[in-house]
Amino acid sequence: MSPLKIATPEKRNRPYGWLILLVLISIVLITVSMREGAHGPIQSSRVAFQTVTSPVGRTGKWVTTPWRRFTAWLGDIGVSRSELTTLRDQNAALRSQVVQLQEQVRSAQASAALNESARSSGHAGVIADVIGLPTSSWQQVIVVNAGSSKGIKLSMPVLASNGLLGQVVSVGPNYAQVRLITDQESGVATLLQENRAQGIVRGSLSGELTMNFVSMDATVTAGDTVVTSGLGGVFPKGLIVGQVSKVSKEVNSLYKVIQVKPANDIGRVEKVIILTDTPPDITTLPPAKATGGN
Amino acid sequence: MFVLNNKVLSAIAALCIALILQVAIGPSIAILSVRPNFLVIVTIVMALVNGPVEGAFVGFSAGLLFDLLGTGPFGAAALGMCVVGYLAGVAYERIFAQGWVLPVLVLAVTSFIYELFSLIILLVLGQQIAFFGALVTKVIPIVLYTTLAAVLIFPLLSRLLRENPTMETVQHLPRATRI
Repeated sequence: MSPLKIATPEKRNRPYGWLILLVLISIVLITVSMREGAHGPIQSSRVAFQTVTSPVGRTGKWVTTPWRRFTAWLGDIGVSRSELTTLRDQNAALRSQVVQLQEQVRSAQASAALNESARSSGHAGVIADVIGLPTSSWQQVIVVNAGSSKGIKLSMPVLASNGLLGQVVSVGPNYAQVRLITDQESGVATLLQENRAQGIVRGSLSGELTMNFVSMDATVTAGDTVVTSGLGGVFPKGLIVGQVSKVSKEVNSLYKVIQVKPANDIGRVEKVIILTDTPPDITTLPPAKATGGN
Repeated sequence: MFVLNNKVLSAIAALCIALILQVAIGPSIAILSVRPNFLVIVTIVMALVNGPVEGAFVGFSAGLLFDLLGTGPFGAAALGMCVVGYLAGVAYERIFAQGWVLPVLVLAVTSFIYELFSLIILLVLGQQIAFFGALVTKVIPIVLYTTLAAVLIFPLLSRLLRENPTMETVQHLPRATRI
């Protein structure tokens, strides 16, 4: 241990003025950013800055791939080899089925187009790579490499291979920021596939999902599938959000407390599809309260 | 008006490195969605090396960079970091021990103040967050992770940034009286 040194500090006049000035500038910036729309100078600066830094994030993601695979492998150590083999087989079979079903959907869409049906049930989408994972502990926001040049707009729903992933919250020329459904600001209008009970799935700081406003009368069991209800018009109906992992009751509460396991593991998502034909043309996202969107 | 002397240039270089670490490395070393805040580390180390005013300016700049990366209210991180930069700089004037333990302790405390401030900002903006839950599951883990990262990079960073590289501490010992 290094020896202690006792000293008498010099008395100096602390220039509080600079601190006060910087604090005032910060407060002005906060006020301006809260009041400006999606195309104000601050948002434009963010778009420009994130356009510049997105290659850094992409490079960092590439450089740290071995590390992420190692940590993923560590996470799988608790699973027995037989379970892992079974799960991998099931996963492969399900993926195959998903691919076949997607082909059928596309075929149905093509048929509908041939029949000049104006109300096709399918959705057009743009496939994009995940080029940036969340940089802050307080926000679950990722970056994908498709932007306004590919027709991406604010509030468009984003899907990964297993279901709903999030919603576009910021768009640059060649990238978009996607707020995950696990972010504490996210909220999605949902229903339980089995009994059709409706509720709102909200994210949290810890990244867990909770389904709120489900009546005590509803029969809910772990493993039930949660899908979007389509209410609010932002997320189309029927997208998989996750599965019920735990159901509990709180004293004096009118609703059940339902924890939902997200359909996608964000650490392993590499490609997403942004649905380009579903949301309304929103230019400014409303704050977090959600009945169908953020 | 600022002159581009060594101090300013080293601050700019440190901020650039911290930004790159935050964007490129930070996301991949997350543990349970908790990431170290490299910009806070640089802010506090700069404040410990140079003093409160420099700490406030570096903190303000680092906060602006952090705000540009995020989607929250622009200026909130700048406000928080300039205040903790100033506080760390004030602490710098009162550090009399050589070594890295006390500076890292100051970093942990000021980092805690910053993350607590971030939580309060979210609450003020109306987000439905359980305060004590967030304190335990978010603020404290972030502070621990940031402090751990600081322990690893602090010796190198402080040696690079201080004016006299031969010193063993971040404090400007010539201003102190040794017994």
